[in-house]
Amino acid sequence: MPSFPNVRLASRPLHFIYLCDCSGSMAAQGKMQALNQAIRQSLPGMARVARENPEARVLVRAVRFADRAHWHIATPTPVEELQWQDLQAGGVTAMGEALDLLAEQLASPPMEERALPPVLVLISDGQPTDDFETSLGRLMRQPWAQKAVRLAIALGHDADLEVLQQFIGPDPSSGQAPGTVPAGGVPAGEVPGASGEMPRHAVAGAGRSDRSPRRPLQASNATALAQYIQWASTAVVGAASMPASRVGDGQGGTSGAGNIPLPDLPPTLLDPVDDIGPVVW
Amino acid sequence: MTWILPEGASLSFEGLAEPVLIVRGLGSGSQGQVMEVQVAGERLALKWYFPACIARDPNLERRLGEAIRATAPSDSFLWPIALLRPTPGSQAQLRTRSGGFGYLMELRPREFAGAVEHVAGRLELSLRSVLLACLHLADAFHALHSKGLCYKDISLGNLFLEPGSGQILICDNDNVDVDGRDLGSVLGTPGFMAPEILMGRARPGAASDLHALAVLIFRLLTRHDPFRGQLELAIRCLDEPARRRLYGEDPVFIFDPLDHRNRPDPEHHAAALLTWPIYPAELQALFVQSFGPGLRDPARRALTGQWQRALARCLDQRQLCPGCGQENFRDGELVAPAAACWHCGSPLPPPLVLVVPQGEVVAAAGTTLHRHHFDPLHPPQGDAPLAELVAHPSDPAILGLRNRSGSVWRAVLNQGEALEISPGRSVNVAALAQVLTPEGPITPQRRCPPSPM
Repeated sequence: MPSFPNVRLASRPLHFIYLCDCSGSMAAQGKMQALNQAIRQSLPGMARVARENPEARVLVRAVRFADRAHWHIATPTPVEELQWQDLQAGGVTAMGEALDLLAEQLASPPMEERALPPVLVLISDGQPTDDFETSLGRLMRQPWAQKAVRLAIALGHDADLEVLQQFIGPDPSSGQAPGTVPAGGVPAGEVPGASGEMPRHAVAGAGRSDRSPRRPLQASNATALAQYIQWASTAVVGAASMPASRVGDGQGGTSGAGNIPLPDLPPTLLDPVDDIGPVVW
Repeated sequence: MTWILPEGASLSFEGLAEPVLIVRGLGSGSQGQVMEVQVAGERLALKWYFPACIARDPNLERRLGEAIRATAPSDSFLWPIALLRPTPGSQAQLRTRSGGFGYLMELRPREFAGAVEHVAGRLELSLRSVLLACLHLADAFHALHSKGLCYKDISLGNLFLEPGSGQILICDNDNVDVDGRDLGSVLGTPGFMAPEILMGRARPGAASDLHALAVLIFRLLTRHDPFRGQLELAIRCLDEPARRRLYGEDPVFIFDPLDHRNRPDPEHHAAALLTWPIYPAELQALFVQSFGPGLRDPARRALTGQWQRALARCLDQRQLCPGCGQENFRDGELVAPAAACWHCGSPLPPPLVLVVPQGEVVAAAGTTLHRHHFDPLHPPQGDAPLAELVAHPSDPAILGLRNRSGSVWRAVLNQGEALEISPGRSVNVAALAQVLTPEGPITPQRRCPPSPM
């Protein structure tokens, strides 16, 4: 039987890395279980997005941090092969050390010569107990960390939003840049297309929500957590791996704001009161 | 998944006599959600928009209404059938306060797979099916543009194809607009957007559709991207600014005959290097044109009619390798022996051709004859075949010509004997001197290479 030549589109790796707070406080109110559930439940959707984006090889890893930070999943694992082992809570919050582990892995090598922007998701319910700022500075000297899409999810009301915002970088829509993110020390041309600008939040047209993926996403219950995790592992992975349809900004052209335009947050989370009702939770 | 229209609900919409049963959610995207619904006993799809999508595209409802009134340009579009707005009574059942609207369309049949499945190498299909899909695509855009409309956002994501027949379906027809009017906010999808759109020098329309169409056809034919060559390898992090440079600021076609900066890399871009030489020069020339002068000057992009002709002609030149059975496409004159088979390297013999009023068609199992082979005024199309070349069921070496028209043919055999070929019957091409069909004659001719002096 004649058939199309056995060739396929060349792909680039897309590293997706969870940084999960496993401090003792995560044991309260079932937060640890909720996070394990949320990540496990999100994997089929993530695998589906990976399948729809043949330009990307989606590879997942995870760091857990409590008294110390460890690689929970050390090997970059294709999402369809991933089996999520439950995280256990107990200890303090060595968030800085987690960033150190991340920084080592985002250096080139071990990072590939060519890749898609990594996606880093930091999930925490508390305050770092080690030297977070020094570690963040070290991390942000890595070109791949600067190019990464950095998201943060605040669990409950005790999370340190300031710290999470520092991890994300300044939110351009807030007008006041919280914290100071160390500027990149990359010589121009080191990573082509380098841009210090942060992605602009794509929902500007809606213009009524104070929620933005450029700020810590505040999950006050298990449903919200699951939806944020699902959003990060599907919509954001899609945006980082294959460009989606673009909408104009009224000035013509797609302005070069940011290195990856972030997708809208799910409508249920954007504005739970005004839009899709609070029916589900 | 939270569905705006609750599964199982029976909702009333303005202007509809009967309520619509929401059967189940089919999918959720950046713009909204698609539900399977039942309307008056018929299963249809209903796309419902997110409030944020409606808010940033104020003319969406107007465009949809106009598209519905204009009706589908061809069968290849999953076109909007009706615009639905909830009645005040059913508003309360919707999981959104702002109500909003959606539109009905046909359900996409199961046998259609996303074009991305083909590009990812996960579909088994023939080169002929892929070329037919491209021909249907060119045909669909020809019909759309002929109505004065433009699509604005064609990409791999909204194209579906049926691997066996090469039939296509184009989805997401909600950006369709009157060309030049620009009542929309969509710009296109990076990688498919014309450089002048990506760089903000122009707004999307029929001219930028022609660029996106060329990209899409290239990606279907090669499973590769026309702008990813050496210049892509120089990019470490393939992000938005990098894509902007690759596709907007300084796009260079990987097979540009004059500019060699972006040639494919043998290791990373093997697909392009293997597939590109398979296609005849006439087809290659349209890419060189669209991705050369056409990049800077939209008026110089290959037109839908040119794609239709070149693709149809490529299908006519299809020859199966006697060594491995693979599909080859002969270049130019059908007399000379062609180069070796791209797959196994066997030399390709001079082909048996069918002479028809409008050209010559290489006789190869699977090839079909259409109205445009007989009628000079009929545009090249890939559907409704009048005749098909078929292998004999028990001896595949015997090639037959099957009558797929509705009328009886008269066949004259080599010995002068005449007989009738009813619709559905096949006649052995080797025994055939000529077939007379109501559309015109079909005459087999064995092409011999010129004998050496």
